[in-house]
Amino acid sequence: MLKKLTKPLALAAAMTVSSLTMAADEVTFQLDWLPGGDKAPVYVGVVEGFFEDADLDVKIASGRGSTDAVTKMATGQSDVGTADIGALMAARATDSVPVSAVLAYFSQAPHAFFTVKGSGVSSIKDVAGKKVATSPFTSSNLFLPLVLEENGLKESDVSLVKSDPGALGPMLMTGNVPVIIAWTTNVPLFENQAKEAGKELVVLPWSDAGLELYSSSLLAADKFLSERPEVAKRFITAFAKAVEFTYANPDKAGAAIHAMVPEVDAATAAAQIKSIKGLVYNSASEADGYGTLTPERMAMTWKWVAKANKLDPSKADPETMVNRDFMPEK
Amino acid sequence: MNQKRTDILPPKVRAWLMRYASAIFFIALVGLWEMVCRIGDIPNYILPSPASIFNAFFDVEFSRWLTHLWATLRVALLGFVLSIVISIPLAVAMVRSELMTRVIYPALVVVQATPVVAVAPLIIVLMGTGDPSRILITCMITFFPLVVSATTGMLETPAELVELSQSLRAPRYRETWQIRIPYAIPHIFSGLKVSITLAIIGAVVAEFVAAEEGLGYFIQFSTSFFKIPQAFAGLIFLAVISLLLFKSVTWIQTWLFPWSLPKK
Repeated sequence: MLKKLTKPLALAAAMTVSSLTMAADEVTFQLDWLPGGDKAPVYVGVVEGFFEDADLDVKIASGRGSTDAVTKMATGQSDVGTADIGALMAARATDSVPVSAVLAYFSQAPHAFFTVKGSGVSSIKDVAGKKVATSPFTSSNLFLPLVLEENGLKESDVSLVKSDPGALGPMLMTGNVPVIIAWTTNVPLFENQAKEAGKELVVLPWSDAGLELYSSSLLAADKFLSERPEVAKRFITAFAKAVEFTYANPDKAGAAIHAMVPEVDAATAAAQIKSIKGLVYNSASEADGYGTLTPERMAMTWKWVAKANKLDPSKADPETMVNRDFMPEK
Repeated sequence: MNQKRTDILPPKVRAWLMRYASAIFFIALVGLWEMVCRIGDIPNYILPSPASIFNAFFDVEFSRWLTHLWATLRVALLGFVLSIVISIPLAVAMVRSELMTRVIYPALVVVQATPVVAVAPLIIVLMGTGDPSRILITCMITFFPLVVSATTGMLETPAELVELSQSLRAPRYRETWQIRIPYAIPHIFSGLKVSITLAIIGAVVAEFVAAEEGLGYFIQFSTSFFKIPQAFAGLIFLAVISLLLFKSVTWIQTWLFPWSLPKK
């Protein structure tokens, strides 16, 4: 009991002392969902001292979806945060939302079909004629018709059922549905359920099927960038360092997030981090350099997002949604 | 005939059964649940067994439970107090003035008819993610039964008492304080009992929309990690504090206004 208490207490004490002695610049960081392995970098930044070294006092707020995160940044409740760049693009195309993308985080799409061995689905084409379960509000739903189209299928070829995100795994494992749509960030969680059910999980990422786009990205409120550019620069540089550290030391990163959010299991978070490394480090990040938002891939992302949201692609210029002045120096 | 059948059990056993009936039923139910889970080999992610829920209590550090409990309790109680502070004066105003009733009542019904779940995200955007917005959401869900019960209670004051006080030229505040409100106490307390359970619901709704701690947040968080037994453990805490708060309202009524309780 005492031992369990000392760690968070020491952490809290350390944080209080550091904020008292330094009067560091305060930054509110917005997550697009609840804490988890894929959100580890910002926690690593706090626990491993990347933010402290940059004289920053970072507060982390959880979110309820990408649109929610963009709204919180737009209304000034948060300064900077991670969310799907697609949500920002859709928002910018319909409204002048004062938020810009500053750094790529996932340069591959995390959307995927999940199935179990023996379900008769081993490639995306096989989902034809199958019942597919998805959660009602995930951005994956927007991209589904496009992925099907890329694979020569029509939307009417699958029967889509919507269900609570928490119910998708059980539905798949009990054989209620042969295929579900979820993010690859959840692979370790679904694997645990598959193990419990004595089944083998099969993941079919949509990025393999031609869905090439930026996904989760570091976004910032325009107000934060214009009023405190120097703080923003320090934050983004420190955040990039934390991302690098997270994927180089998944176990330490898992421990870091557990230290700040005790409900997150360190081992599960570490497993998540290991399984999504490909979303962060891949052919795109290798070609362009980690974090870079290239005009070409931005245009490609916008093309997909516009198509998915049934928006006129000429209605917005993806280049106006990026701010490259804050790229960390190499 | 009937008499004979009940007499099968000795009176002592019968009294004992009556006394503990609900507890026995509850234990039997939990036992049945555990058995169904074990015999049916139902996986934890579909319906966790009582044993795994019990274990889940200890997977979370005690201090974390306290943090979440306190966060929810704080919002629920502050929202509840705020709704008392708002609804009693509103009820007084409506009882006193026909005009006020005409002005306020439709607005109240509109607020009540709007689903708080739908409005909650907008409140968070407007007021930020701190306690005040969660307290407001709780208050929105709890105040209506209070206004209605307090108004009904005050209107049910016997007319002759009101007339008497008027004929004695008692000032209106005394009419309200010494006649109408005491008459309304039983009504107000039944409103309070409804409100206090709604307060927990309000706090949880608010935590679903924006929170970093609290039992609602904890449950949402646990399901996002597919930790279903842990989510159930959170639910049990919620049920327990709901029950305790409900009971506390009764205790407060017995303590402060014993005369207002129904005669046995």
